Amino acid sequence: MNLDFSQIAPSMPYILKGLQVTLQIVAASALLGFALGTLLALCKIARIKALGFFADAYTSIFRGTPLVLQLMIIYYGFPQITGYDITAFLAAVIAFGLNSGAYMSEIIRAGIQAVDKGQTEASMALGVPYRKMMSDIIFPQALKNILPALMNEFITLTKESAVVTVIGAADLMRRAYIVGGETYSYFEPLLFVGLVYYLLVMVLTLVGKAVERRLSKGD
Amino acid sequence: MIKIEGLQKSFGKLEVLKGISTTIEQGQVVAIIGPSGSGKSTFLRCMNLLEQPTDGRIWIDGQEVTDAKTDIMKVRQNVGMVFQHFHLFPHKTVLENLTYAPITVKGVSKQAAEQTAKELLQKVGLLQKADEYPTRLSGGQKQRVAIARALAMEPSVMLFDEPTSALDPEMVKEVLEVMKSLAHTGMTMAIVTHEMGFAKEVADRVMFLDGGYLVEDAPPSEFFVAPKSARAQEFLQKML
Repeated sequence: MNLDFSQIAPSMPYILKGLQVTLQIVAASALLGFALGTLLALCKIARIKALGFFADAYTSIFRGTPLVLQLMIIYYGFPQITGYDITAFLAAVIAFGLNSGAYMSEIIRAGIQAVDKGQTEASMALGVPYRKMMSDIIFPQALKNILPALMNEFITLTKESAVVTVIGAADLMRRAYIVGGETYSYFEPLLFVGLVYYLLVMVLTLVGKAVERRLSKGD
Repeated sequence: MIKIEGLQKSFGKLEVLKGISTTIEQGQVVAIIGPSGSGKSTFLRCMNLLEQPTDGRIWIDGQEVTDAKTDIMKVRQNVGMVFQHFHLFPHKTVLENLTYAPITVKGVSKQAAEQTAKELLQKVGLLQKADEYPTRLSGGQKQRVAIARALAMEPSVMLFDEPTSALDPEMVKEVLEVMKSLAHTGMTMAIVTHEMGFAKEVADRVMFLDGGYLVEDAPPSEFFVAPKSARAQEFLQKML
């Protein structure tokens, strides 16, 4: 085995530039996924049956098909229908956002339903309107319980963002692959981005623990 | 004042309330007692529509709450409720528990709400706990905070759903004391309770529910001395 990291040393800044792309995709799609997940979760617990049906169908479809397929449909498929080209970045954000929204909706729904029914009754008895009750009373408590599961989802999203390589977005993964092709040695750049992904996930984990500590002030 | 007419409530096929009519006058303290499963909690919970009655009509301060046109949220602002298991907001401090609804629902200024909250905490003897989170309180303290939280909305009626049933015996008294002093302020109160001593001492009326019917309705001096129905006699024998 002869690994030679010195030959990719000049390419490291190039690879690391992909970190920004990866982070942007992850941050944007996490936000989109969370917003969508919240909305879908509210649909799932709503009294109106049609909303619940829609949200369940949505979840079923996005969990039941490969992420890479969804990404390709959005990137290659939609321009064909609409006539508008879509950037790789935007396609990635939409695909990951829509996909993780499906997963997050289940996490958030479970979190909301796990909050003691008494909290709803106490809010109702005080005349607190539904929206206020959800945002001020139920959601903060649900969030605290589901934080570990949400962090898991963010971590998954961070790693799975590497899939954008297939549509050519210049993220960490794609750049490592390119460098590998240029130097005819793949192992070193791939190991290098592996380390970068790992560190990224470690940072996320630490952030998650810090947030968890903050939210548990009432315990 | 609460007026109830022909109140019925079913859960699926289970008929819990089978037609109750009564009036609770302004300033009256009513103890609602009865064996478990008699429907007394459901009866209470219908008064602020936490349970939607299957049939019958309810008026609070002259406003029909069972009328679909009535804004039930508005009515609830005027009806305080205290639960068996407190249901304080665990992520808010004691003071925030008291100020949240007045600020959010009634639009009271933060300053005024905190002022009122502190006065109420003083009254229930927990001012020193204002900045604590509920988990740091004992059961009796939690229930006193819950009473203060309901009072912070300045309701005209207070409903108590077995307020001492989840408490350790030594904490029952401190909660009953708070309720007693509240009764003396002229608050209209409906209390589902198993505390016969308290009912006897504080209540103006005792309602005895059994099998979904209001079986007896009498002042405690009559009810506890000479209950008319066989069911009430039997119940009291077991309780006292």
